[in-house]
Amino acid sequence: MTPRAKAHPVLDVTSDPILRVENITKSFLGVNALNGATFDVPKNKITALIGPNGAGKTTLVNILSGAMKSDSGKTYLGSVDVTNWESYKIARLGLMRTFQLSRELGGLTVLENLLVAPKVQAGESLVNIFFRPRLLRREERQNVERATEILATYGLYELRDNRARELSGGQKKLLEISRGVMAAPTIFLLDEPMAGVNPALIERIGGYILDMKSQGMTVLMVEHNLNVVEKICDFVIVLAEGRTLATGRLSELRANKEVVQAYLGEVISASTTN
Amino acid sequence: MSAIWYYVFTLVFFLFDYFILAMGLNIQYGETGILNFAYIGFVAFGAYVTGVVSMPPAGTSGQHYILGLNLPFPINLLIGGLAASALAFVVALITLRRLRTDYLAMVLISISLVLYDISNNFVPLFNGADGLYNVPEPFASVFKLTVNSFVPFFAGVAGVIALIMWAVMSRITRSPLGRTFRAIRDDPGVAAALGKGVFRYQLTSMLIGSFYAGVGGGLIIQFGGSFNPSAWLPGETFVIFAVIIVGGVGNNIGLIVGALLVETLLVHLPAFLPAIPGHPQLIQYIDAMLIGVLLMVMLWFRPQGMVPERLRKSKFLLPDMATPSGAKVLPSMSTAATAAEAPNAEPAHSIDEEDAR
Repeated sequence: MTPRAKAHPVLDVTSDPILRVENITKSFLGVNALNGATFDVPKNKITALIGPNGAGKTTLVNILSGAMKSDSGKTYLGSVDVTNWESYKIARLGLMRTFQLSRELGGLTVLENLLVAPKVQAGESLVNIFFRPRLLRREERQNVERATEILATYGLYELRDNRARELSGGQKKLLEISRGVMAAPTIFLLDEPMAGVNPALIERIGGYILDMKSQGMTVLMVEHNLNVVEKICDFVIVLAEGRTLATGRLSELRANKEVVQAYLGEVISASTTN
Repeated sequence: MSAIWYYVFTLVFFLFDYFILAMGLNIQYGETGILNFAYIGFVAFGAYVTGVVSMPPAGTSGQHYILGLNLPFPINLLIGGLAASALAFVVALITLRRLRTDYLAMVLISISLVLYDISNNFVPLFNGADGLYNVPEPFASVFKLTVNSFVPFFAGVAGVIALIMWAVMSRITRSPLGRTFRAIRDDPGVAAALGKGVFRYQLTSMLIGSFYAGVGGGLIIQFGGSFNPSAWLPGETFVIFAVIIVGGVGNNIGLIVGALLVETLLVHLPAFLPAIPGHPQLIQYIDAMLIGVLLMVMLWFRPQGMVPERLRKSKFLLPDMATPSGAKVLPSMSTAATAAEAPNAEPAHSIDEEDAR
């Protein structure tokens, strides 16, 4: 590999698995959050990452997206080793994420939140701003048109000129997901997209996630709602105490004693009590 | 020209100059969220460099300083701006990669103090505590300007420069680059997760803002013909912060309102009032208190400033924007899942079908 190619690696979108996680460990002040998590995420599928609270799911999402550094282990996007890369470099390679608690760009309008998303924009260069105004106008028009279409699909078009911080919780979730879609990622990590969302909106978000798959994206979602996992996820990874406990389809995992003991039993008994 | 006009044009000059300084700090703080408490250091560095490159070699003037290149206006001003940017580059490399918000602010204020001490005590650089004097007045010999006619002339020059710099700044803040700056201001973590190299953009913002600081400082030394360290105590940064907070953070028009209210009316106008007998410094102290009170009142009752940041509405971004026609109507999760399970069912998400729609 030439030094230049090493500096600007390209993600081969046909790689399967598209994301590989090998023996990731992470501890916080001596407490092990991740303890050798290992799994593959298949290309163009919807994969659920489930597990009890404290299993290390969000820590893992943070490590995969570069927001946090692992203590040891490797992560690969396709064949590219992205272990402990900075977050913007991972994003540029094609991995987007959402946050457990929605993080909108509050001072920007809803439309602007989407317009920031395209990874490389000619209009972000000072030279282009002053010397290539036509290129800028063309690019901006294309981006605005695409962003408004996505907003219309996500039911946010009417709110396009509102400041993002003025949206409701559910609307912020939709904004964050649509912003990720605007960036056209190869792999999209969704951290509890259904948390704190009403049942009707859960139905809609589920539909959007299925649509991402139909567009060729790979989705890895942290989710506690097993009804959602059952309906839309092709593959499930169970994480417990920072380790991968099992992987497979949810129907298979229901027969796995360890999984039932560590997580499913807990969920089933909670739903029975309720 | 009567004395009153002399004062009026002096105020006009400082209005334009602080408008330039405020634009520079605004792109760093108001647009990108960098709490640059060392801003006055860049202003002073630009002023000194503008001064020394326009002065004759040091040996001839009885002062100690570097360079002495006899460069004409506005080349000297441009060099002053670029020198401030170069200093910002070094400071940004040291600070921005590792530090955020309060810690960054603390380190920057320390840098401001260090810069102040160096210039005040290291005589060979910029003549130490004596500062620079007899800096040539631009165009004075060309247009045969007198002491009185130079003031309105140079206020006009500052006005033209401020206008050009406002046009340039507006172009930047309205562009996708400006949008990315504001995204970083709102949440650097999200901006990074969207593929934005936060450090690179913050560095760009620092360089642009410091160029404005350097030009603003250069204009001051050209206007007064002298400059000494007591004029740029680290606390002066907060006067420029007051300008942008009172005027409106993130709004270039608001900055001129802020410059008028804070700089012209509160800082410079009282400086021309006759001193109160027996209390020579009293007006100056009351002045500083008034700025503090104004700042608190604004933050309490109108934190968005006199002219708040404008919302970049869609019509502004694309004047002929039409209602989107390509929006998809997607089935809900259950409908899609049921359709997928039904034997010989049509695919729930057919791309061809969506294209046809």
